[in-house]
Amino acid sequence: MATTPKTRPPAKRKPSAAGRASRDEPPLLEWISAAIGLACALVAIGFVGWDALLGERSPPAVEVRLMAVTPTPHGFVAEVEAINHGGSPAAQVAIEGVLSGEGEPETAQATLDYIPERSRAKGGLVFEHDPRAGRLVLRAKGFADVS
Amino acid sequence: MDANAAYGRALARAFGGALLFSFPLLMTMEMWSLGMAVERWRLLAFLLLSLPMLLGLSYYAGFEPTFRLKDEVLDALAAFGVGFLLAALLLAVFGVFERPGPFWRADLGKIALCAVPGAIGALVAGKQLGEDAPSSRERSEAGTLGELFLMAVGALFLAFNVAPTEEMILIAYQMGPLQALLLMALSVLLLHAFVYRLGFPGESRRRAARGPLRTFVGFTAPGYGVALIVSLYLLWTFGRTDGVAPHEIATMTIVLAFPAALGAATARLVV
Repeated sequence: MATTPKTRPPAKRKPSAAGRASRDEPPLLEWISAAIGLACALVAIGFVGWDALLGERSPPAVEVRLMAVTPTPHGFVAEVEAINHGGSPAAQVAIEGVLSGEGEPETAQATLDYIPERSRAKGGLVFEHDPRAGRLVLRAKGFADVS
Repeated sequence: MDANAAYGRALARAFGGALLFSFPLLMTMEMWSLGMAVERWRLLAFLLLSLPMLLGLSYYAGFEPTFRLKDEVLDALAAFGVGFLLAALLLAVFGVFERPGPFWRADLGKIALCAVPGAIGALVAGKQLGEDAPSSRERSEAGTLGELFLMAVGALFLAFNVAPTEEMILIAYQMGPLQALLLMALSVLLLHAFVYRLGFPGESRRRAARGPLRTFVGFTAPGYGVALIVSLYLLWTFGRTDGVAPHEIATMTIVLAFPAALGAATARLVV
């Protein structure tokens, strides 16, 4: 590695640095990594600052959609997707599906841990009867503020 | 080319240090939820404060043996980049980010929050994992303000590891006033003992030369004050103080000040 020992001209050194050992110009790699670091810092600060200034603060608004129904030996599994259209995240979102057909309406519920703003989370509701046969109403019943 | 190779090694060390110091946080659930829940102004303030802190830390423990302002700035920025990229990579590997949908503010919040401890680790690694011992000249140069700064960084660093967890609040709920006072006394005692009596490496001999009372007034008391302030600041940043009764905030601060005091005491060890 040290086959080409560099002899640096002493004129380049700065003797003004109070007698401290001052190095030569930082290597190129140092500039590159610092530039990447600067970019990361600017992205983080820029986005967070932009969000703090202009970000929307509307409450969570959760829509629940039916994705697919799969018959299993342990009931009909309705895979659902909860989409938070609001501007704040929601925690412990209770979602409920009411299946009304002939006879008593059937209710199934699940709790989703977190749904960030403008994001979606998935879960499943399990029914005894086929949700495709009756009328299925899906909705979010409530949530807690994220902390 | 030699300088570049040396810097590359230092950079790899920085990644190692950042990994070592930030993985407990990256693998803590509360950090992910806090990343999206922390109020944006507080997160912004935290990020903006972290840059001068990294700059100061780079002066005392940079991963390049530097003295000049330009180098300190470059090191601090590189350290932030290391922390940021490492947090982004590991959180992605851990599957923390929402699978569908674009990369958005919740994800960025998580990365930004985890980037800072990673960056501290990256800077500290230069000293901890480095080949050359830090010059004693640098250390003795730290004046009273420098000492307080290092104590604050140490406190922040250790307290940060537990501050986001629910347990801090839970412990505060469990403790009565007497226990809180006891924990306070214990923190101060440990802070005093760790720094000035146990003879850890990094203990300053010139301080031991002073009387115990002067040492206590001059260093231990301000050190615990720093630990309290750092703890309160962290709790506030994480929104743990919102809508909480003052005495409960005080207890939480005392609870968090326990690890913070240990961090302040061992700052010289780590940083």
